[in-house]
Amino acid sequence: MLTLVEEIILLTLEDKSGKFIHVPEHCIRYALSGAVLMELAFLGRIDTDPKRLFVTDREPVDDDLLDPVLGRICGSKEQHDCSYWIVEVGRDAKDIRERALERLCDNGILNVHEDLFLWVFRSRRYPSARDGSSERKEVKLRMMSLLFSDEIPAPRDIAIMGLADTCGIFARLLARPERERARARIDAIRKLELIARTVNGSVFDIEIELARAMTMRPY
Amino acid sequence: MKVETQKIENALVAAVSGRLDGASASDFEEKFSGALVGHGGSVVCDLGAVPYISSAGLRAVLVIAKRLSQADRSFLVCGLSGPVAEVFRLSGFDRIILTHEDREAALAALRLSE
Repeated sequence: MLTLVEEIILLTLEDKSGKFIHVPEHCIRYALSGAVLMELAFLGRIDTDPKRLFVTDREPVDDDLLDPVLGRICGSKEQHDCSYWIVEVGRDAKDIRERALERLCDNGILNVHEDLFLWVFRSRRYPSARDGSSERKEVKLRMMSLLFSDEIPAPRDIAIMGLADTCGIFARLLARPERERARARIDAIRKLELIARTVNGSVFDIEIELARAMTMRPY
Repeated sequence: MKVETQKIENALVAAVSGRLDGASASDFEEKFSGALVGHGGSVVCDLGAVPYISSAGLRAVLVIAKRLSQADRSFLVCGLSGPVAEVFRLSGFDRIILTHEDREAALAALRLSE
């Protein structure tokens, strides 16, 4: 089974070309951070309530994406809330993404292609390997079936829906009228998971700051 | 954490007591699932004696609700108060899972739906 980090990475790649779709940097940073924290929560290592995020089991999970983060939370002298850890873990988002891509390539889900742009600038694409597109389709199908039904979502599906929404994936999967129809359901599902809700709040805070900076008058 | 069950009318009423968090969530799921064996009707989960619920506790309630919904069985939660009611409201769980003020109200709602 893929981790939430790997699933969200797959959702941010274009199906055919393997290029990354445009996702604002702060959105992908917090989405990856949230994915790591939710995975640790699902594995019973951390738990959250509206005021704090706390360790419930210090035993490593034998995963090079998750154990460094668990170690940091275990090593923290103070207890913090979820939004603190979203921002903290988000500082390592670039490494998390690189390691997740390496894993997806090693496991035969993606291939890596290096291209040269203007003979100088290197860019990487990650097209699906042979049958690798099935994983991406599976995640999308799970989300779609949940969106247009009254089904009670499973915890992992709530997590991936929240992260996908943070990264603006639904704008690529659904036409505007469908998206508008699904908006209330997306919001209701995303709200069910505290970490997903906090990721969204952190993104919102950044966007408010950006909007404020852009509308400030120069003196 | 305890789960005590009794059959009232056609429903199984499960009264949960104690904290529902990462330490007790799997125990809750196990005890609750065990109580459902041999009972095919509606289920009322009384959280009146639960003083605290964390995300792990909410997930455990969600897993039970999903399992019952897939089996086409009604699942109602009642007795929410204080911080537990607040967490249910904040997370929107009260929009996904039917909640009632107390056991009597939950049973009355079941009677009406039959």
